[in-house]
Amino acid sequence: MTTKKLFKFTKNVTPDNLEDVMQQAIALELATIPTYLSTYYSIHRAQDQDKLYAKIHKQLSQSGTRPASEVDALAQELKLDILVYSNKSAALIMSVVIEEMLHLALSCNVKQSVCQVAPDLMAIGKVLSFPTQLDGHIPEFQINTSKLSLQQLTTFLQIESPKPFVDPYADKQKRSVVEYQTIGGLYKKIEQCIIDNFPGPYKKRPQLLPPEAGAGPRPFYSQNSMNTVHYDRDHNPHFANENDSGELVGVYDSKTAVEALHLIVEQGEGSTTKQNEKKQHTLEWGQDKMPIPMEIVVDENNVPSVVFWPGDYEDEGKELAHFAKFLEAYSLGRYYEEKFKNIQGLEDFNSYFVYDQGTNPTQADYDAPTGNKALALANKLGSAVFAYILLMIETCYYKEEDTQYELFMFGIHKSMIWLLSETGNHINTYTYSKDDQAYKGALTFEPYSFENSFLRPKEQILEILDELGKVDSYWANWGENYFPSLPDVGMDHSIIKDIPKVPSTPYKH
Amino acid sequence: MSSELVSRELHVCMGLNSCKNAGYSGDNECAGQGDCSTAVEHPCHTLNACKGQGACGIFGTTEEFCHPGENDCRYQGSCGVPILNSRFMAQGPNKGRSVWLLARARFEEKRKANNQTFGEAPEPFGPTEEFVNKLRGTTGQNYSSCAQSGSRACSYINDKDKRKIAMEERVLKMEVESLEKLPDTLKTCPKNNE
Repeated sequence: MTTKKLFKFTKNVTPDNLEDVMQQAIALELATIPTYLSTYYSIHRAQDQDKLYAKIHKQLSQSGTRPASEVDALAQELKLDILVYSNKSAALIMSVVIEEMLHLALSCNVKQSVCQVAPDLMAIGKVLSFPTQLDGHIPEFQINTSKLSLQQLTTFLQIESPKPFVDPYADKQKRSVVEYQTIGGLYKKIEQCIIDNFPGPYKKRPQLLPPEAGAGPRPFYSQNSMNTVHYDRDHNPHFANENDSGELVGVYDSKTAVEALHLIVEQGEGSTTKQNEKKQHTLEWGQDKMPIPMEIVVDENNVPSVVFWPGDYEDEGKELAHFAKFLEAYSLGRYYEEKFKNIQGLEDFNSYFVYDQGTNPTQADYDAPTGNKALALANKLGSAVFAYILLMIETCYYKEEDTQYELFMFGIHKSMIWLLSETGNHINTYTYSKDDQAYKGALTFEPYSFENSFLRPKEQILEILDELGKVDSYWANWGENYFPSLPDVGMDHSIIKDIPKVPSTPYKH
Repeated sequence: MSSELVSRELHVCMGLNSCKNAGYSGDNECAGQGDCSTAVEHPCHTLNACKGQGACGIFGTTEEFCHPGENDCRYQGSCGVPILNSRFMAQGPNKGRSVWLLARARFEEKRKANNQTFGEAPEPFGPTEEFVNKLRGTTGQNYSSCAQSGSRACSYINDKDKRKIAMEERVLKMEVESLEKLPDTLKTCPKNNE
């Protein structure tokens, strides 16, 4: 499959190209979201513990390598390994997705205010397909939509790497143009250009702003949700994001622009202002050309944990940077893979909780004449909802706060938490075959062009849903609180009043 | 929405009713003694049908989580109903603390401010899922609302009897700690319109 480059990056950031560079930075933040979500949806977070125990117990018993008295305790230990790791790795990924949404909004705020041009998310959505790569990054590396694996976590580590890294397969790659070596490096160039050339104050334009005393409700960002919660072996809850892990930043001058951009780097890569003083994990490769894991300490109950270093956290906070979160998931995943491999009778560790989804599936895979029509339509629905989320976010940059509020409450929250999530999770109940191998369905996050129909985008979504409901009753009769209550947003950012039974909307109070 | 519900007071959980016979079963003596929610059932954030039906704690902002059952409008509620005793807040300075206790505290604040009386709730920390199933004549139905991270009332112990005991002990610990910290919770949460 051809890897499509997401964008072309110029060598230097200048006042003349800042608008393009900011659009590229937005594309970069946006590209990570489907990648991380595809992996998140591949994880079965909360499976039936009794069925899992019975399965492992049977496998251990059938292997005949240990007395029955040992099998009970080992099956329980392994069950906990799977349940706790699967839930934690999913929570860590979701915690990063949430912060990537924040980064998207922060970079949009910067473009809107500094460049005085609204972000064009729909243009990015039209070209974003997988596999992709971050052009200009040294070294280039392929980014896939794919199920959880050590390889996929390696890609995540490359995206979030705090320091330049060497390509372990450099000898097999053609030489590329030197542009930037980390995402933080890219933002440093942007920051300098803004400081030198765009001091502000900037003319006021709509942005997504943080809560403020005296202002109206601004429910645009929340660090945690129940999906960033995971449970330890005693079922005590833990929260993957800290309360001090950053907020939206209103961009009014170069100081606040730099503050917004700095937060993106800090959350992604870790400690920055005191980087030279703090020891920090970085992406280093082992002889097997895979990342070197963190040190693992195993306690008296055979429970492993990783050893973090001070620079793995954001400046002044307790919040782990994205890189450290992914390195933790990678290190523990590698530990458990090895552990399960060494116990006779067991399957591959990930097979107990990761749906067998293909890498970079496409709508064309699902559209095959002999294929599952429900799968094809469910994926079409997922792509359309994802594109619609981008349209609603983009529309926020053309509207005042009260409309932004309702776009979020009626549209973006509902779409992210429920509509996209439900589609992303339910799609794995369908199967398809490719190259004589069976896979479970997965969202492809391919571009969806609302322009191909004369219907408004919301009507197109409802039409797909209607068609889907006819081939799979699961999707029929969800009621008006779900898809029909989405705001009706046009490609020109117009909004039509059509939400059921909410007389005061849309959208001016 | 059924015509029966239109004519009833709609509230999000046990102990949050304003009137006699306004609980789920319709046989409570006075305000605050209803046995379960009458709100139109919905599982998640922004899916509520009416004012005052968002139950909070699972998805939403710190500010929203301060006001269980106090949303102004349809689709503006945060999270599903009823509020089981095991539900804790996932966000903000009060994360990990009981949602039902905050909802009840809000209810009591409002009653006192209006010089209205109320009785003790049937359960001190809200309803268990077992209680709701029994009350509604259902078996094993999941009333815990949305999210993918798994049950908030569980343990991983293999023996099912011991698992239930461990689960109840863990939830009770959360409830007792939340009660101790309730003054602090209320301090971090402004009342509506403040």
